[in-house]
Amino acid sequence: MKLLALMKKEFHRFFHDPRLIITMLLPGLVIFLLYTIMGEAVHTEPEKNAYKVYVEGDSSVTAVIGSIIEARGETVEWVLLEDREAARKEVEAGEAAAILTFSEGFDDSLVDPAKTDSVVSILYDPMDEAGSAFYALAVGLLQEIGMKFSIQAESVTTTDGIGREIMQQILPFIVVCFVFSACMSVTLESVAGEKERGTLSTILVTSAKRSHIALGKIIPLACISMLGALSSFLGVVLSMPKLMGLSLGMLGGYSFGMYVLLFLLIFSFVPLIVALISTISTVARSVKEASAYTSVLMILVMVISLVTAFLPAIGNWVVAIPVLNAVVFMQELLAGSLPVWQSLVSVGFNLLYTALLVFIMTKMLSSEKIMFGK
Amino acid sequence: MSEEIVRAEGLKKTFTLSRKQQKIEKTGETRRIAVDGLSFSAYRGEIYGLLGPNGAGKTTTLRMLSTLIRPDAGDAFICGHSVVKDPAKVRDEIGFMTSELKLEGFFTPDYLFDFFGAMHGVEKAVLAQRKRELFSKFGIDRFAEVQVKNLSTGMLQKVSLVIAIVHDPSVVIFDEPTNGLDVLTAKVVTDFLSELKAMGKSILLSTHIFSLVEKLCDRVGVIIDGKMAAEGTLEEIAKGDLETAFFDLYHSIKGETV
Repeated sequence: MKLLALMKKEFHRFFHDPRLIITMLLPGLVIFLLYTIMGEAVHTEPEKNAYKVYVEGDSSVTAVIGSIIEARGETVEWVLLEDREAARKEVEAGEAAAILTFSEGFDDSLVDPAKTDSVVSILYDPMDEAGSAFYALAVGLLQEIGMKFSIQAESVTTTDGIGREIMQQILPFIVVCFVFSACMSVTLESVAGEKERGTLSTILVTSAKRSHIALGKIIPLACISMLGALSSFLGVVLSMPKLMGLSLGMLGGYSFGMYVLLFLLIFSFVPLIVALISTISTVARSVKEASAYTSVLMILVMVISLVTAFLPAIGNWVVAIPVLNAVVFMQELLAGSLPVWQSLVSVGFNLLYTALLVFIMTKMLSSEKIMFGK
Repeated sequence: MSEEIVRAEGLKKTFTLSRKQQKIEKTGETRRIAVDGLSFSAYRGEIYGLLGPNGAGKTTTLRMLSTLIRPDAGDAFICGHSVVKDPAKVRDEIGFMTSELKLEGFFTPDYLFDFFGAMHGVEKAVLAQRKRELFSKFGIDRFAEVQVKNLSTGMLQKVSLVIAIVHDPSVVIFDEPTNGLDVLTAKVVTDFLSELKAMGKSILLSTHIFSLVEKLCDRVGVIIDGKMAAEGTLEEIAKGDLETAFFDLYHSIKGETV
């Protein structure tokens, strides 16, 4: 009952203060909007391209595409394909925009709806500005024609592969940073703030157990921080493909199991950080002092989450290292592998460390030197 | 004599002096004895005052009695429960008020009353009944739904006092109850103490204000340098003027005049 009352108080404090809710959820929204706008700005900047396109097979479609390109104030050079490999290398190098291949008698399908076996294929580099612009233009036109031919697109690079690689490198770091700041914003105020204002001492005079007081802080603060972390996580995940000029559909390329493990790692990481900041806040004499200690901790956490690539020697012991375990296995999950037991053991270790920190905080709440020392 | 409800037996508390404190006080000593073997008793239904100058050890004594800090030696018993061995039970028997204990400004008196009631394990029905009575008696019902941060000092003091006795404690401990308060708020507090006495509560307060002791206390213990210098009823100690009696005592112990 006492623990419940303590938890309800923290939830009441948060959910009845619109400013706190906005502060917690705003970062996610801001990240999403900011990254999306940045992505739009980067990837939709109008650029006058001079396309070099290799053509195999004959079709009047090229004339139509050419007239549209010229109407846009751009130029196109049609080159008859002779050496496919050499042309492909030019596309990969960004020297040519695409290779357009029409099947024999392709134009027949434009006038005869019964002819359905015609194929047009486009080989291009989606990461190349001219390549992706030409692809969008050509496919748009062909779809507009709406005849019964099929369009085959081939990319010289795998978009998802690139996306995954970038996501794998950046996302865990960003998630860790945002989770930490979400935890910091609520925990410092709730623990160090209450201690500084003397309201925590008022609770200590009651017969509530010190362990209940510690849990009554950490459990609700972890739940609230998870909301903030989720908001930031969604903001990052949903905007990152846009920022990198990729489609949101790449997120669907990950398995359900990957998402479950990813959220488990994040959700075990949040209470650990909350417990850590709560413990630091209990030792500190003021919010200012707690902020100073926590800033050092944040730098440490950021460094750990950045240097994972340089720590292969740790091996399987990484599961026992807080923060690092979450980052490493988040990276592996985003890379497409599914390290189930390592992720679950990491979650177990994170929860174990959280329990240990709750115990330490309980002892601190009982210490007159820490709670009432000048 | 009525039932003994508070008994302190040889309470002792020593603090470590920081380098800064040593420098300020121009002393080389690293330890400071705040309370030195203090013993006294308070009885049911009386107001017992601990009188002494600043630094005499009054606050430290009350903090030990309210279980916020542990004595280095000795023990104290509240309603028979040891502050050393059974602090949780002691906390349920006492209501502790000091200017250092604050209420969170975001919440309303109504919410805080319920919260602290739950912290003391008071049943909901009992709590609701008690809230109606106390809020009505002290006029808190008029601002029960106003956030604490928006209350005047007098209103806030009333709320703090009522919350300190949310669980209907047998003993109410007040550290410097009128210190730093304006005359109106101080009157709220002294009236409240008289009300509590009328309710049959035992009250233990610390103060350095002679008039407060003369007005409220049935018995008084004079503390100087952490030791009990004198104890008894006002008549026994002062034989007329408490202020004169106190300074005579101070001079006889410290060998110096103020």
